[in-house]
Amino acid sequence: MATSNLHKWASLPDPSSAELARAAEGDAQAFKLIVERYQGMVYSVAYNVLGNHTDAEDAAQEAFLRCYRKLPQFRGEATFSTWLFRLALTASIDYKRREGRHPEPAEAPELAAEEAPQLGAGIEAATIVAALHDLPEDYRVPTVLRDVYGLPYQEIAAATRRPLGTVKVMVHRGRASLRLKLRAEGAGPEKGPAGAPPRSDA
Amino acid sequence: MDCSYFRERINLYVDAEMGYMEVAELQQHLSFCPDCAAELAQVGAVRGALAAWGRLELATPPGFAERVMTAAESEPAPRSPRPFARVVDETFEYLDDKLGSIRLPGGRAIPVKNVIGWGLATAAVIIGIERRHGRRSRELTPL
Repeated sequence: MATSNLHKWASLPDPSSAELARAAEGDAQAFKLIVERYQGMVYSVAYNVLGNHTDAEDAAQEAFLRCYRKLPQFRGEATFSTWLFRLALTASIDYKRREGRHPEPAEAPELAAEEAPQLGAGIEAATIVAALHDLPEDYRVPTVLRDVYGLPYQEIAAATRRPLGTVKVMVHRGRASLRLKLRAEGAGPEKGPAGAPPRSDA
Repeated sequence: MDCSYFRERINLYVDAEMGYMEVAELQQHLSFCPDCAAELAQVGAVRGALAAWGRLELATPPGFAERVMTAAESEPAPRSPRPFARVVDETFEYLDDKLGSIRLPGGRAIPVKNVIGWGLATAAVIIGIERRHGRRSRELTPL
């Protein structure tokens, strides 16, 4: 996977090995530092997978509890942020499978940064949130995992427990729905050149 | 021109799941088909916007970290044994307290519960051997 949003999380400063060791031994203060540092990342992942704030908070809390229980097993083979990102993703997908709730009415979530986000091609954050919200559930989760977080199709198929071919079809249909929705909203390019070269993250 | 063949391949193209020849064929088509080129640009823009959205960090609900910490405090410490193992450990500690230990020459001490445990294990082995021996004897005794 050459290009992935995992890079963003991986660029966060990891806790030191001493901090991680203290948290793994049950030091509440050390664990609190981890929660405060990564709560935005974990909550964002849960929100994007689940599509509503109530479920996102439950799933994000579950992700941190899994982190707390599994900290002694963290061996540093990946960066801590990547490891925690995976935990957040798994906890959110498990929550989705277990609870199976539908997203609440779309509302643009509040961002941690104050400046207005630039998503490119004249597409606003609220438009993307609304378009994702309107996708059928079967399309939304694989599309989020693929195009928001850049996971390989194989991994999405394993996480969602669906055949690889089905996952690809769902993502393709999700993209088509998003494209039509954004075009109807007047967002994104109407006509353009042959497009940017493809991301080689298959 | 029927572009459906190429439209179906745009997703494979952006996922880099096409072979060299297929890419060359699609790129040639895109060079003179503005509609397919526009569709590719739109798919690229959507993917770019989704990836940019994924890099943004959402604000957490007020008090979220505190609620996580409250939940974590009700968890057993990460390195503590699981509940069953903890009960076993606590039982052994209780027996050690109540039964004490036997001092050996040289300053070493053996917990009484260990001596009882070895005694019970030895007795179980002897009973097992006796029962097996008795069964074999009965089998070999002529009727």
